[in-house]
Amino acid sequence: MSHTLHRRGTVESLKNDFVIFAMSAKGINEIDSNIQLRRFLEIVRQFGPVNLGDMKTGNCFITPEETIITSTKDTSIVHGVFDNREAFIKALKAVKDADLGVSVIVSGLLDATQECCREAGINRNTCETSLGVWGKNELLPDEDILRFSTMCGHGMVAFSLVKKMIEDVKEGRRTIQEAAQEMAKPCQCGVFNPSRAAAMLEEILCLWGIRIA
Amino acid sequence: MKVDESKCLGCGRCRPYCTMGAISFVRAEQGQVCARIDQHECVDCGVCYRAEVCPGEALYEPTPQWPRSVRSTFSNPLVEHKETRIPGRGTEEMKTNDVTGRFKWGEAGMAVEMGRPGIGARFTDIEKVAMALAALGDIHFEAKNPLTGLMADKRTGRMNAEVLNEKVLSAIIEMTVPLTRVQEVIGAVQKVANELSTVCSFDLTCKVHPGDTVPAFELALGAGVKHTLNGKTNVGLGRPFFEEVKL
Repeated sequence: MSHTLHRRGTVESLKNDFVIFAMSAKGINEIDSNIQLRRFLEIVRQFGPVNLGDMKTGNCFITPEETIITSTKDTSIVHGVFDNREAFIKALKAVKDADLGVSVIVSGLLDATQECCREAGINRNTCETSLGVWGKNELLPDEDILRFSTMCGHGMVAFSLVKKMIEDVKEGRRTIQEAAQEMAKPCQCGVFNPSRAAAMLEEILCLWGIRIA
Repeated sequence: MKVDESKCLGCGRCRPYCTMGAISFVRAEQGQVCARIDQHECVDCGVCYRAEVCPGEALYEPTPQWPRSVRSTFSNPLVEHKETRIPGRGTEEMKTNDVTGRFKWGEAGMAVEMGRPGIGARFTDIEKVAMALAALGDIHFEAKNPLTGLMADKRTGRMNAEVLNEKVLSAIIEMTVPLTRVQEVIGAVQKVANELSTVCSFDLTCKVHPGDTVPAFELALGAGVKHTLNGKTNVGLGRPFFEEVKL
């Protein structure tokens, strides 16, 4: 369930993409962990995340933030997404200071998150990386599409939705911001970064024709 | 997922939300245009339904019977596996490693995410990879992973024959190996990947060793496989519930 692991993109497009999330270990520190997980979300919210969510209740584009926070369960996995390093480090430090006792995980460029951990006075415990996509790669769509869809590790953002959003923006049916938020909605956990999506839409629009096969 | 033809307006709003491209439009018997979902390709992820874009509320999710039920349990993150009590297809893996101590010094977590990104996989392909890995010998698939529970023979990686034709958005073959076997596992996946009719994403996990190093990543490079620049880090803020053996 490595739902934030395989995000694709250039260093430039990933450098402002940070996810921080928390969960308890089932059968170990699970009981009453909803209190710590709720506290985690309250802390993260103070630093202006561009997305926030709980796998159990949804992301902030489909569920009010207050509902997400007050509905945490012991089995919740709670997330916040940041589009700038400074806010991310502040959130990380604040989570550390809160000493919640539950596991906290971050995603982003490994060198960048390592540096952020140092600045927050944190020693990394375990790292995970992607060794890429193997097998019948010719089935995959254009890299431009994958950069959006892989922001939801559960695969909830369909390739066809990304194409439709590009088409909608090009034809003036939606603004870039609206299209980015529409793509964020199916990603139940709230790990999709709509700010990054908007920046990428801006960048690629001129490269795509109106009619997308 | 199914469509109630009597309610479908044929507007097409659901189509872009389908993760498998399984929705098409046909002319129904009464002459109206109507959505049709290819049940062989649909993985029951529920995205089209949750998008709430259907003006006629024509989409509905019947309770699936075995073996079709595996589609939603692996593809819909809102469905919690009874074995792991985690929504989605995997386990806690490295996410709670600071608390559980699951991955130890000198070990690597390796996982093959079949069907990811966005293509989906049938259990025939999943079985190919599981059997290729099992053939290396002394490979222990993660017991808590729901996929392992579908193996008829965990020693050989053979899947329950009843699920072979089922399709899921993704399913994760998960194992822990000593660092000394990382390159061997990479080699096995490299070889079997050529026989697949889908894609898979390959994950590598390792505890951060003294000197802030991650030796498994170096081993992957040694096998000629460059890892991505981004990744996931457990920052060690969880209170440990195990006794760590000093390296």
